[in-house]
Amino acid sequence: MSKVHTMALFNDFEEAGNALQELKDSNLAGFRMQDVTIKSPIEHPELSALLGPRPVYVQLFTLFGAVFGAITGFTLIASAQANFLLQIRGGRPVVPIPPNMVLTYELFILCGVLMTALGCFIGWKLPGNRSPLYNERVSEDKIAILVKADSAAITAINAIFTRHRSLEIMGEYD
Amino acid sequence: MIDRRDDSDIEIERRFVPKAKDINEDIAWAQINKDVLRSMERPRPMYWVIFAASLALFGFGVFCEVYQYQTGLGVADLNNPQVWGLYIATFIFWIGMSHSGTLLSAILHIMHADWRKPIYRFAEAMTTFSLMTAGLFVLVHLGRVWQFYYVVAYPNERWTWPNFNSPLVWDATAIGTYLTSSIVFLYFGMIPDLAICRDTATGFRRKFYWFLSLGWQGTDRQWANFRVAYLTIACFLIPLAVSVHSIVATDFAVSQQPGWHITSFPPYFVAGALYSGCAAIITLFIILRYVFRFEEYMTMPILDKTCRLTFAIAMVWTYLNLIEYASVWYGNDVYAKETLIYRATGLYAPYWWAMNFLGSVVPFMLAFKSMRNNLTIMMVVSLLLNMGMWLERFMIISPTFAHGYYPWTWTSGWWPSWVQWGIVLGSFGWFSMLFMLFCKIFPTVSMYEVKEMVYHRSEARKARNL
Amino acid sequence: MSLSNLIKNWSSLRVKRPYQDQYKNADYKWGMVIDLDSCTGCNACTTACYAENNLPVVGKESFSKGQAMHWLRIERYWGEGTELAQFPDHGAQFLPMMCQQCESAPCEVVCPVGATHHTPDGLNSQVYNRCIGSRYCSANCPYKVRYFNWWQYPERAWPNPLEKQLNPDVTVRSKGVMEKCTFCVQRLTAAKNQARTDGRRVADGEVTTACAQACPTSAITFGNMADSQSQVAKIWARQQVELASDKQDKKDEGLRGYRIFEELRTYPSVLYLERVRNSDA
Repeated sequence: MSKVHTMALFNDFEEAGNALQELKDSNLAGFRMQDVTIKSPIEHPELSALLGPRPVYVQLFTLFGAVFGAITGFTLIASAQANFLLQIRGGRPVVPIPPNMVLTYELFILCGVLMTALGCFIGWKLPGNRSPLYNERVSEDKIAILVKADSAAITAINAIFTRHRSLEIMGEYD
Repeated sequence: MIDRRDDSDIEIERRFVPKAKDINEDIAWAQINKDVLRSMERPRPMYWVIFAASLALFGFGVFCEVYQYQTGLGVADLNNPQVWGLYIATFIFWIGMSHSGTLLSAILHIMHADWRKPIYRFAEAMTTFSLMTAGLFVLVHLGRVWQFYYVVAYPNERWTWPNFNSPLVWDATAIGTYLTSSIVFLYFGMIPDLAICRDTATGFRRKFYWFLSLGWQGTDRQWANFRVAYLTIACFLIPLAVSVHSIVATDFAVSQQPGWHITSFPPYFVAGALYSGCAAIITLFIILRYVFRFEEYMTMPILDKTCRLTFAIAMVWTYLNLIEYASVWYGNDVYAKETLIYRATGLYAPYWWAMNFLGSVVPFMLAFKSMRNNLTIMMVVSLLLNMGMWLERFMIISPTFAHGYYPWTWTSGWWPSWVQWGIVLGSFGWFSMLFMLFCKIFPTVSMYEVKEMVYHRSEARKARNL
Repeated sequence: MSLSNLIKNWSSLRVKRPYQDQYKNADYKWGMVIDLDSCTGCNACTTACYAENNLPVVGKESFSKGQAMHWLRIERYWGEGTELAQFPDHGAQFLPMMCQQCESAPCEVVCPVGATHHTPDGLNSQVYNRCIGSRYCSANCPYKVRYFNWWQYPERAWPNPLEKQLNPDVTVRSKGVMEKCTFCVQRLTAAKNQARTDGRRVADGEVTTACAQACPTSAITFGNMADSQSQVAKIWARQQVELASDKQDKKDEGLRGYRIFEELRTYPSVLYLERVRNSDA
């Protein structure tokens, strides 16, 4: 059976929360909680908690970026100094530790920040994360619940939405 | 919570906002969108006055720089001991300005201080643009600007690298890192707002915001990743910002010059940076509040908190300033002591005393509530504080060069030429031009975070009332 | 390759300079001695330097702004002594000051592009092509002997036909680069090349700097300190001044040799012999 999307708009978090709770308890055939997405103008962790665990891996990228930045930073700088033709300056060692620590520190942060951003983009599934249904009122003040389910289950889901005073239900039809 | 007002209502009203009033907790979310988006459409006429003035200043600065580029740095009237002049002094000033925005925003974000939310966006923009301005000064002061890329570590067939021991290379790396990271931070914090712009804009602007908002739809996955990433970047930015100005301080502390070779320079610079940055936030706060009609968002209680913060930082700076003098005075380094005495009594003495007055005495104006409530006085005071901070940087550069180790180079008088002043003025034009453009193109008040703030406050109130 | 080089040579890359007997096995270490007792302040050395090294004469206006390019300058100080009140001119003292070619040069560390560095023969070199004109070296030089090309001097200093008197062995510097005394490196290079062709070391007195050559009272002595038999090395030894130490342990009283700002640990290669003052007279 083909899967289709439906999306309902709610006035506030309370109503959206009630709808989600009922969806969760409904045990409809052809519907899983993993296929539910909340779209909201501000973050609401309690509401997202109803969806079950959805891990975020951004900090793994951060860790990798920071470690990578520090190690490659020091190695690159030190080996560049060791290979530079005009090496001796001011009686300091050719590969001095304190200046290199400064640069290593900066590269550690730079790579950490950039990898964090990259990790976040990957978490967002960029490029091409176009979600099929969107309502511009979400960016204003409405909360939307997007569900992907078997087309058989859609009617029941929409009924749940209506029962919780959804403002508007959008759907896609074959 | 839902107070549906007529969306087609674009009439610009002059609402009466009581002074002590904080952000209205009952404000409708749609109204927040409307108010902020309106600021990008129709600012007060003052906007165009400021923009034209900064364009003119910038034009003059460009003229001076072209003249200097063509003729040589001689037109700046620099000479053998006075090799840096206003360029490096103003460079430190702009680096300092850049500190408060991102650093305060990051610290307050981590501490969940919600009053940061209406003002952090422009503060971060201030950071970004003052860093760009500071970067210009690095270029302007070079004798051969056209070879500036020698400082960049790029692989080449001659096996030549920049000198990684040089604090200037640390500077370049640190500023590059800071600029990149603060742009990332600014941009990340803006993505949900860019999506709002995308949803309301039309035509070319819609395409522009569509591209920048990276497909933001406010899904739970997006919010969760966003929150973690934003917090992580904030955590990186705090030590980064401290390190950047410490590194700028090492430009001086690492060197041999008496009066620069001081251990307390890095924290002194960081405090000075925070100080001038906070004062600049106050200035821009007052300007934006008026120009973009943000009376309801940039409220007096927020200004009050910013002023109190500035006062605290001013006292930290005063303390560090005094212990710098004290440690030089009680130390046995005759050269450094001579330099200190020269600053207080020599050619530059008026400026030195003015700097101490503006930096340490004027901030006491911030200690009075009646002063903090008066926008005109706060505007003047914040400009005076920044003038003091600029003088501080001037006092770091010129008197030190005028009275170094070598008596033969003790110059009796040195004064920057009009070209230097022109470039310094031009930098202010460049900064305000960029800043004003930013305010017109991007939402200056964070809409989604004001919504969060309003939401959490009203939730808290509901919980109290129950 | 880079990494293996780093690991293989780690200990040699961590050496601090100067160290004791650093130049013991080296062929050259150029050094200088200036005897202030012999100096009459005649400025012949400065003139010779201008001629040898294509230094631009900057003109009255630039000079009054402190933009003069004298790599070697004669400084005047008015000394102490009881007769000074009666005959002020008697107290005049002269100090020829040029780049001290420090062994641990503050300027070298801070140059962002590595335009100034230390050569194996102990010179503090300046690479004009590499210099971007950040002037940090000058800011960090305690002697302030680095000079910056504030203007495009080739266009101003040598109007036609004056450019024909320029020394063809020395480049003419463009605006925006730093320059300073090189110990007449063009002469040293020529002499070293000649010696290498002949398969020998440069002999003492075979090459000297323009200033030393021009000095009418022979106050300036220049030579190779790595050669213990050279004039310079002998004077340094006689004055009991060691290149690699910042505090001279002198066994004999009354020695005149000292280096300027030795306490800053720059380890200069120029030894000054103190002027003997007859302050009792």
